[in-house]
Amino acid sequence: MNDRLVALAAAAQRELETAVAPEAVEQLRVKYLGKKGELAAILGGMGKLPPDERRALGEKANAVKAELETKISAAITRVQELALEQELKGPRLDVTLPGRGHALGRRHPVSQTLEDICGVFSRLGFVVEHGPEIELDWYNFEALNVPADHPARDMQDTFYVDGGSLHAGFAHTNPVVLRTHTSPVQIRTMLAQKPPVRAVMPGRVYRKDSDQTHTPMFHQVEGLLVDQKVTFAELKGTLDAFAKAFFGAKSKTRFRPSFFPFTEPSAEVDVSCVFCGGKGCRVCKQTGWIEVLGSGMVHPNVFRHAGYDPAEVTGFAFGMGVERLAMLRYGIDDLRTMFENDYRFVAQF
Amino acid sequence: MKLSIKWLKDYVALPASMDELAHRLTMAGLEIEGIHRPGDGLKGIVVGQILSSEKHPNADKLSVTKIDDGSGTPLQVVCGAKNYQVGDKIPLATVGAELPGGMKIGKARMRDVDSFGMLCSSKELGLTEESSGLLILDPALKLGTPIAEALGLDDVIFEVNVTPNRSDALSHLGIAREVATLLGVPLQRPAAKFVETATEASSKIEVHIEDADRCWRYAARVLEGVTVKPSPKWMQERLKACGVRAINNLVDVTNYVMLEYGQPLHAFDLDRIGGAQIVVRTAKAGEKLKTLDEKERPLHAEDLLICDEKSPLVLAGVMGGASSEVTAQTTRVLLECATFQPTTVRRSSKRHALHTESSHRFERGTDVSVVPEVLDRAAALIVEVGGGTVLKGRVDAYPTKKPARQVTLRTARVAEVLGVTVEAAECARVLSSLGFVKREGNDVSATWDVPPARVDVSIEEDLIEEIARIRGFDAIPAALPRGLNALEPERTSVIAERRMRAALAGQGLDEVVNYSFVAPAELAAFQAEKGAITVANPLSIEQSVMRTTLFASLVPNVARSVRHQATGVRFYELARSYEPHDHGGEQGKPVANETLQLAGALWGVRDGARSWTGKDAPVDFYDARAAVEAVLAALHVTDVSWVPLESPWYHPRAAASVLVGTRVVGTVGELHPRAQKRLDAPTGVFLFQLNVEALLACAQLVPQATALSRFPSVNRDLAVVVPMELAAEKVRAVILDVGKPLVDDVRVFDVYAGPQVGEGKKNLAFALRYRAPERTLTDAEVTEAHQKIVAEVSQRLGGALRS
Repeated sequence: MNDRLVALAAAAQRELETAVAPEAVEQLRVKYLGKKGELAAILGGMGKLPPDERRALGEKANAVKAELETKISAAITRVQELALEQELKGPRLDVTLPGRGHALGRRHPVSQTLEDICGVFSRLGFVVEHGPEIELDWYNFEALNVPADHPARDMQDTFYVDGGSLHAGFAHTNPVVLRTHTSPVQIRTMLAQKPPVRAVMPGRVYRKDSDQTHTPMFHQVEGLLVDQKVTFAELKGTLDAFAKAFFGAKSKTRFRPSFFPFTEPSAEVDVSCVFCGGKGCRVCKQTGWIEVLGSGMVHPNVFRHAGYDPAEVTGFAFGMGVERLAMLRYGIDDLRTMFENDYRFVAQF
Repeated sequence: MKLSIKWLKDYVALPASMDELAHRLTMAGLEIEGIHRPGDGLKGIVVGQILSSEKHPNADKLSVTKIDDGSGTPLQVVCGAKNYQVGDKIPLATVGAELPGGMKIGKARMRDVDSFGMLCSSKELGLTEESSGLLILDPALKLGTPIAEALGLDDVIFEVNVTPNRSDALSHLGIAREVATLLGVPLQRPAAKFVETATEASSKIEVHIEDADRCWRYAARVLEGVTVKPSPKWMQERLKACGVRAINNLVDVTNYVMLEYGQPLHAFDLDRIGGAQIVVRTAKAGEKLKTLDEKERPLHAEDLLICDEKSPLVLAGVMGGASSEVTAQTTRVLLECATFQPTTVRRSSKRHALHTESSHRFERGTDVSVVPEVLDRAAALIVEVGGGTVLKGRVDAYPTKKPARQVTLRTARVAEVLGVTVEAAECARVLSSLGFVKREGNDVSATWDVPPARVDVSIEEDLIEEIARIRGFDAIPAALPRGLNALEPERTSVIAERRMRAALAGQGLDEVVNYSFVAPAELAAFQAEKGAITVANPLSIEQSVMRTTLFASLVPNVARSVRHQATGVRFYELARSYEPHDHGGEQGKPVANETLQLAGALWGVRDGARSWTGKDAPVDFYDARAAVEAVLAALHVTDVSWVPLESPWYHPRAAASVLVGTRVVGTVGELHPRAQKRLDAPTGVFLFQLNVEALLACAQLVPQATALSRFPSVNRDLAVVVPMELAAEKVRAVILDVGKPLVDDVRVFDVYAGPQVGEGKKNLAFALRYRAPERTLTDAEVTEAHQKIVAEVSQRLGGALRS
């Protein structure tokens, strides 16, 4: 029986060495070590042996079993490694094929720019306020110190709403306009709350104008800060901070006296040209500066219309055209393409 | 306004650098938008004289001339023109010159004859569009004079953007005042020297102001023996430089003085004024006036007129009439200089759509005190350029004298507004240099007389602006705002918008931004229920109605993309729709209902373009629904249900309302074939529309966590054959109801209709997940629960269990 054990170990050893598939190794395990395997068969005959022989043979059989288990285990590791090697050498995917599914959706440059502008002012503690786009003349003009028959009305060519298309009972003597700027939201914001006010007011505005640099609708962001003893110096600081945050830390600002009926003093704000850094180029018309927004100290008459006492508070306001900033930022030449919504245009941003 | 630098030099000494001057003016609020140098392109072209001219030996059409360019050595120049005589002075482009058209002049040999330059026409000098022959120059010109100087083109023209408040700067003298202040140099006012005759002007004309509210002052002078002819070259050159056409010496003087002082004037032929009187009044019913532009204009009761005893002569402040116009025969002149109420002039100008140099200035306000000076200046110039004599005195009707405006400035207030301290002495220096006169006061507070030309200055802030402006905004430091004590939370609407956009971007939707107004036809396709708000004065009919739904723009966006060869598009827009508001405009309420909408349109190949993975599968209802689901998920909106919808906008087979609880927050569906045809859109457009305010009301921006079960779940599937029209959600609801509390999740994983399940039926397969929070479920209890569900589903819905 001892010889059989030795032969069995030798045979198993041989067969294991030639096995290459994991299944073959498993079959060998069953063949030699299984319940009905060859080792079990040999051990099954042991009962007939005298006890001392049985003990010696048992020891021998256990040794053979342990040896086989180790070898099988090694063989499994070896054939698994072989199989992995085979798989790793297998055919490769074409990694140049595109990924599955639709492309990421894109933001419109105007809304992205608008969000970024508001985001900068949000860091300075300004909150976002909204107001109506279809507005009474009073909010859009009169309350902002632009009386009827004032030449300043020519600065903004106005769309009027057909009163007959409003509700049947609409009997306002005040004309209804599509707001020409976001400034009426200043008035509504101040009428709705006590000072201090620190707000930005983004939205659509309308002017009767259409060419390469004008569209009948565009977007503005208005800003308003009202408190006790707000100064022009703070207006400068705020807008300079905005320019640096929006256009880059190296940007410079330049304040030029100007005129808006709702501010006094009023200033146009230029930012150093984002393309040439101020050296002069085609975009800035060789001046090194690009006009980006209008601003000023809130006119006392505006405070009066909004129910604030100009002796108690001062404030500054500013307004900027979002499309203009978006055009500078994204290198868009023709404003009108912004609203044509060609799928090829939109997909770029 | 066009500003001639040559002219400006009459009143003030200027710095050498024009760029520097432009910068100073710009930084003081008079923005120089452009600088033109009309003589720049004329270098190397000089005044020459033709000494002799002979026929070219080898060419019939050419001549060989000898030209004196003042150097003493005659030049030989070959010339093709015929319109000259020997002795004429002409422009000579010398060798090395470059003509405005780009032609470079070199030494040339023309048919074997040398030519050292070129004789020029006015077209070749860029002065006119067309010309015939050489430009024959004034014989008095000195030979060799640069042509720009000879023609008065050696000027620099500034384009000044004068803001509507600064009517004082609509003149050379007004800007000279500003320059004098900025540079600290004296201002030289123009002179008006003439001798009056013994005859009183008042004996020739009477002035009656009938409407003193509208006409504040009306002054006139009378001149006799005047000769109407072209005005002298220098005056024509200056007018032309400022973009004003020369007409005759009388009209030119009125325009010249207007450009000098900013005060419009008018010259009448006195012999054409009936009754030797001027009446200033508003129009009578049915009156008409033929203005200088030859248009017969019916007049409005509020139009202010300058009339004679019977009829209107001039639309006051706007335009003169043809009947009293100065003609070549005119010898007796009535010169008018008046002040009109700005509103009156503006209204007449608007009413008659006549915007003139005169109305532009009057509607911005003119200086009532300067009238006599202007009148005398114009009279002196008429005598200078047209001869004649000036009758004695002015006829000056000035019913209510306008007092000087006074404004008080508190020195401390300057610092309060500007954020920088400006000493009282410095304030006084700036204001005085602008012509303000200190009436009384001290270092704390002072009262100032406003220069009458500065009609824009009436309150303390105006004075502060003057001080800031003249000292320069650069003199004010920049500082971040003080007093930010607390940050408010970001508005939920801002947060929600950001999340919704991100969700839609993830769904592959590109954002579009459309005009708020659309064409009536675009809106009609969506049958606006309440009627739409219309623009009274649209730019075009395509932009005349305020959209009541964003679909009116989005569907045309899709149609346009298809025309431009798109294979698949996914668009969304976040914007308002507009509808009439029953109580709009009352008590501060918005005029209209403006509702923020989030709407989208999907069409074409699901992946946007043909792809190897998606093949060419087109989008369908469930792609649009997925976009809505993404938005709802981004806001953590729960308790959502989808209810079939009947709508004229949507195809009946694929349309749903989106409900949160019982509130409809939006709709989704396929574009109705009728709307699709009306809008020329492709088939298979899927739309959704969500009311943002309604979404915000149920949004959960900060979701709350629930503890995870530590125990394993058991998964079982359930397949049931049900009638085709039975909603899967109904089956699911029964499963959830019956399966309480062990069923943790149920989802449909297969929907099948076909021969195997029979006509009018479908098979729904559900994946159920059983789980208990506190223990491991036994196989037996899951089996029991599952069997109960199977039984109930069959009983309640008439479904047959499918093994």
